[in-house]
Amino acid sequence: MHRICRVAAFAAIFLLAGGFGFVPAHAQEPVTIGLVVPLSPPGDPTAGQLIRRGAELALDYYNGKGGVLGGRKLQLSVQDSQGRPEGGVAAYRRVVGEDKAVAVTGFFHSSVNIAANEVAKSMGVPTIGTQTSAADITAKHYEVAFRTHLIDPLRVAAWLEFMQKKGFKRVSMVAETSDYGVGLITETDRQIKEKKLPIELQTLTFDRTSTDLTPQLLQVKAFKPDLLVNVGVGAPMDLMIEQAATLAITPAVPMLVSYDAPIRPQFWQLHPNTGDKLYFIAYYSPKQTLSEIGTWFTKAYEEKYKESPVYSSLNGFGDVAIVAQAVEQAKSTDPKAIIQSLENGKFAFWSSGDVTFPNADGVFWHNFSPPVLILQFQRPGQDWKEAEVAYESGK
Amino acid sequence: MNGAAPILETRGLSKRFGGFLANDAIDLSISAGEIRGIIGPNGAGKSTLINLMTGVLQPNSGDVLLAGESLVGRKPHEIARKGLVRSFQVSRIFGNLSLLDNLRAPLLAAVSTRDVRAEGVAKAHRLLERLGLARLADAPAKTLSGGQRVLLQAAAGFMMPSLSCYLLDEPFAGVNPVIKDQLIELIEEESRARGLTFVIVSHEMAVMRRLCRKVTVLIQGRIVAEGSLDEIASRADVIAAYLGRSFA
Amino acid sequence: MWSLELFTQALIAGVVIGVIYALMALGITFIYSIVKMINWSMGEFYMLGSYAQYLIVAYWLGPDLWYVAAILSAATVFFVGWLIEPILIKPMFTGGIERRDDYATVVTIALLLLLRNLATAISGPYQRTPGSNLPGVMLGPLPESGARFAAFLAALAAIALFTFLLKRTWLGLALRATSQSRVGAQTAGVDVLSLDKIAFGIGVGLAGLAGALLAPVFMVYPTDGVVTTTKGFEIIVIGGLGSVPGALIAGVALGVAESLGATFIASAYQNAYGFVLLLLVLALRPSGLFGERLRQA
Repeated sequence: MHRICRVAAFAAIFLLAGGFGFVPAHAQEPVTIGLVVPLSPPGDPTAGQLIRRGAELALDYYNGKGGVLGGRKLQLSVQDSQGRPEGGVAAYRRVVGEDKAVAVTGFFHSSVNIAANEVAKSMGVPTIGTQTSAADITAKHYEVAFRTHLIDPLRVAAWLEFMQKKGFKRVSMVAETSDYGVGLITETDRQIKEKKLPIELQTLTFDRTSTDLTPQLLQVKAFKPDLLVNVGVGAPMDLMIEQAATLAITPAVPMLVSYDAPIRPQFWQLHPNTGDKLYFIAYYSPKQTLSEIGTWFTKAYEEKYKESPVYSSLNGFGDVAIVAQAVEQAKSTDPKAIIQSLENGKFAFWSSGDVTFPNADGVFWHNFSPPVLILQFQRPGQDWKEAEVAYESGK
Repeated sequence: MNGAAPILETRGLSKRFGGFLANDAIDLSISAGEIRGIIGPNGAGKSTLINLMTGVLQPNSGDVLLAGESLVGRKPHEIARKGLVRSFQVSRIFGNLSLLDNLRAPLLAAVSTRDVRAEGVAKAHRLLERLGLARLADAPAKTLSGGQRVLLQAAAGFMMPSLSCYLLDEPFAGVNPVIKDQLIELIEEESRARGLTFVIVSHEMAVMRRLCRKVTVLIQGRIVAEGSLDEIASRADVIAAYLGRSFA
Repeated sequence: MWSLELFTQALIAGVVIGVIYALMALGITFIYSIVKMINWSMGEFYMLGSYAQYLIVAYWLGPDLWYVAAILSAATVFFVGWLIEPILIKPMFTGGIERRDDYATVVTIALLLLLRNLATAISGPYQRTPGSNLPGVMLGPLPESGARFAAFLAALAAIALFTFLLKRTWLGLALRATSQSRVGAQTAGVDVLSLDKIAFGIGVGLAGLAGALLAPVFMVYPTDGVVTTTKGFEIIVIGGLGSVPGALIAGVALGVAESLGATFIASAYQNAYGFVLLLLVLALRPSGLFGERLRQA
């Protein structure tokens, strides 16, 4: 009998440890927002937790003001997608089916968002892509699909302009085999052909669970490129920075990281010697003016976590804020009404200026894109806010 | 009555499996230096008795005493270390270990010192020599024939540093006459040289007659007779019970 | 794209990573051969080792004493295993449990989730690294990072030490005897239940050592052991459960297959080449390269 007790005690401890993150129920029935984020590999757990931090502070903001719909509190249902499409589908089903979420956001991996949208189409509860860039998320024109992140064509246009400006003629792209990685390879190839650019492109792919990118990088070395584009997400992105340096590809060949991971506080701790002169995409310039709620958020975040918020957290906050506003404007928790208000309303976001989701053409359907920048570190340990702006969209 | 003090005793030892009484109040007393035979038909409870004495099974009631000390509740390895050692009907040699390692393994029971172990290794070599297995000392035990495995298992028991009483469960089953003789001689030698006590469970009457001055007959979990094999063989009730099922 | 230089480079890279994977496989296979259970939480003991290495290097010894830190980390994980075994694993033998495999699976998966969630809760969102001051080396034509090469050498040394312990010491004899027959070992006076504690500790200690050695090569985060564990299980199937040389040879074979496949066939399927090798071995030798068809009782 004592053995069973032991196992039960164990189960209890486990549930305690695993069950954090749920806001306790309030007297009046709360309004649930689904948050599907990667919290474990092969997803990018850092991104997932940063988005979650933002989303939780959005809850603090609105609940601190008395909630929505005349006093109903907001709560999150957080689910781990593990960065896998099937994980994302299961997570979407759970937050909508069991927890009755009125909208689902937090998406970081494109393939997860794409897969969840297929289910969303039939279940009817809208999704907002927080940091997903593949075209298909909005290009399919699903009524339920929304997004507040930089889309592939804009990102690719940005780095092709950057390559032109810098005179890079031979470019290696090493990308993960996901909708994100393969999407970017395809789009880059397409735009080079369409715009007849004088760029010779080498493309290599790797599985996201790879622990050794030596085979890919040896081929890069043999190709002798002018620029190496690192299209890894999470741990493989870090690995590529290290291994490219080991194989003496960098710093002779500069590297461009395809998203804003280098602005995370951990970056210099992970790459004290190898991060110098790195180019990377960012979606947020510290010189940017923030909205009223964006300013509140930045202060609250710095107070709580003793560091500056990064884009993932800002967008996590912004997307939950949009859902809260959409519920208010719809005066209802009915998903159909929320979709209506998302399509027609104007929403405050962390950046200045209102966010709208017009029924626009192609990939711009239901889409709001942040500005895109390419930054470059000038010395090891440099604060990303002081990194040189190597490229800025529209300039 | 034997004059020497009993080294191994059971008092009212009983073991029940569900509704089946495998051992029913067994009182057994074995003197130091004795070679005792235990016979009985299949299912009489002989193996259960050995398992109870060596701690593999726990009795429902009764006691097992080794040199006056109760063994009930002790774990098998503790009982082995106290000097009550057993062999198995199906040989439990370590197939992937060399013959020498098979004989060194019991030296692990010597919590003790370098000396005992060094001495033990010399003894292991002597035993292998004695059994004609010396040239195979470094070969894995699984390459041995069935009979050689029996010899090796029996020899391993003699390697236990604290051995005082050795329980052999069907050591002669399916063994050819040459090996059988080797094993008998080994038992007799060790008995003489070290004054060891043996309890041998066997169906081989010829061997029992040669080795054991006294045998105990176990039938349906009870002791029904004790004495020399010739005395017992003359008792009609034993023969009837022993042969009963197949001839009745 | 083929060139002899590229081939040699890929081959060496494969051998280096393969030996490191073998260390993990050794831990899994060792626990199996003594305690007769698959420990599904091996990756979490790897993770404990990597965090221990990070903490010891970052807050105490500094990266120059990485090898002292690695020994301390492995020892820490050994003690965690040694303490956990009697609570979680021992009931498998003493509690009258009938379906031991099921019990071991449930218990170790619960342990996996507990450790992972605790690590996530305590360590926050960021990855960490203990860092390394070791200069890069040239292995023939292949430039290799100092940390990875050090991990390779240390893994080889650990495997040699482990083999010595197993073959040349009395503890090793007890472990080998117990792996052959628990009952036989008990009869020879071996206290198998306390030996289980040591065996479980050594097995998870090997995983912890792998975690400590790889901490500066990969990052340190709550699920950093998942990939290495997956490789470890693949290696065991290829090499045969319970075989030490099998783990080493299969580890190198897996590393080389993945490296060459990714370089010369298609890099996207790097992980698939290991599975192809695995399926091939299963088809030709279902019990693995060095596995035994049936174990003796």
